[in-house]
Amino acid sequence: MDFWSLIGIWVAAFLTLSIYSVLYQDNPFYRFAEHLFVGVSVGYGIVLSIYQGFIPFAWKPFVAAVEGESSSGFIKLIPICIGLLFFARLSPRHTWLIRYPIAILIGFGSGIAIPNVLRANIFEQTRGTIAPFAAIHAGTLSGWGTFEAILMVIGVICTLTYFFFSVEHRGPVKWLSKVGIAFLMIGFGSAFGNTVMGRVALLIQRVDFLLSDWLNIIS
Amino acid sequence: MKRQVPLVLCFVFGIAMIFTRFSPHSVSQWIYEEVISWVLIIGPFALVLATVTLIQTHTTRIRRRTEHWQYSLVVFAGLTIMVVIGIRFGPQNSIFEWLYNNVQLPMDATMFSLLAFFIASAAYRAFRARTFEASLLLITAVVVMMGNVPMGDFIWNSIMSWSPWADKVSEARQWILDNPNLSARRGIILGVSLGVISQSIRIILGIERSYLGGGD
Repeated sequence: MDFWSLIGIWVAAFLTLSIYSVLYQDNPFYRFAEHLFVGVSVGYGIVLSIYQGFIPFAWKPFVAAVEGESSSGFIKLIPICIGLLFFARLSPRHTWLIRYPIAILIGFGSGIAIPNVLRANIFEQTRGTIAPFAAIHAGTLSGWGTFEAILMVIGVICTLTYFFFSVEHRGPVKWLSKVGIAFLMIGFGSAFGNTVMGRVALLIQRVDFLLSDWLNIIS
Repeated sequence: MKRQVPLVLCFVFGIAMIFTRFSPHSVSQWIYEEVISWVLIIGPFALVLATVTLIQTHTTRIRRRTEHWQYSLVVFAGLTIMVVIGIRFGPQNSIFEWLYNNVQLPMDATMFSLLAFFIASAAYRAFRARTFEASLLLITAVVVMMGNVPMGDFIWNSIMSWSPWADKVSEARQWILDNPNLSARRGIILGVSLGVISQSIRIILGIERSYLGGGD
């Protein structure tokens, strides 16, 4: 193992233990690691967004246009100027100019959301819910599969009913929404179980790092 | 000028994105790709502005000598080292990668793994099977957790060895995830999606203007 790899393991171990030290109580080591994490993460985000966004999509086409290789790169000056308007936020008199880039980003986000959400979340999810009924109609689905398909439709309808506030939840609507709550609880329980296991997997990975890479206790 | 132009920009970009998504014409596709590249260009400026705000906040803390102000210097140190090395030499540089692998990545994983302790502590205090719904949540969470790991399999098999469900915890977990969990999730996704679409239409048409903020 080379020198810098060894230093890296010791640095990572020190930072890992510093963060875990908060489980006892707040202390200077945790505060140090916490603040370092903020600074390093922001710095990493800036570098990535510049190298993966600004340089390939703005800087390189613009330089190519200046060098006469392609004239279309000059159009990139428009988004660059719009992006620079973000810094109007730093001048109290010109703060309102920040609305231009924000309006463009929000308009873009809203416009792209409508067709994408329609296709991926509404049409596809609805299709997935009712598609097994084609197999039931064709007689290719087993009895258990039919039960699962019916359960799926009941679950979706009852869950939607629970969130439907245009009518008062009385009578049949109340019972449908009660069944919807039961499905929601199963959904939340699954999400909770998966989240816990995901975090525990991370914890195991960190403990494994400390015991094998750092202390060499296990191999 | 101060409010009307942003509303028009929002409308134009919103409508353009909807039409270009549905039109297969080459010009339409060129506009679509160009606008996406514009957003990727504008985005980093917002991140830099956020960083300027972060710097201002910590500079104020240092200037006023508020409690724990010394740690603001640590923020600056981390930020400066990453930005200077990353921008000067690129993200493929060995020093930048060393910092990512040995400083950021371990802290990132450790911070998220801390949640395992907090979730366990919160669950111990909050999980009480007092009602039918709470019991459902508790049982589902236990089955999903046990079905995820070999140790869970072992415990389940030890306890349920007398029953026909012995050796079935992984299958039970998968069935829960694929059926009742998926139907609840689909219901939530459909509801959220309808909300996203209606809110997007309100924003594009200028009915929802809160993003413009207050003032003139």
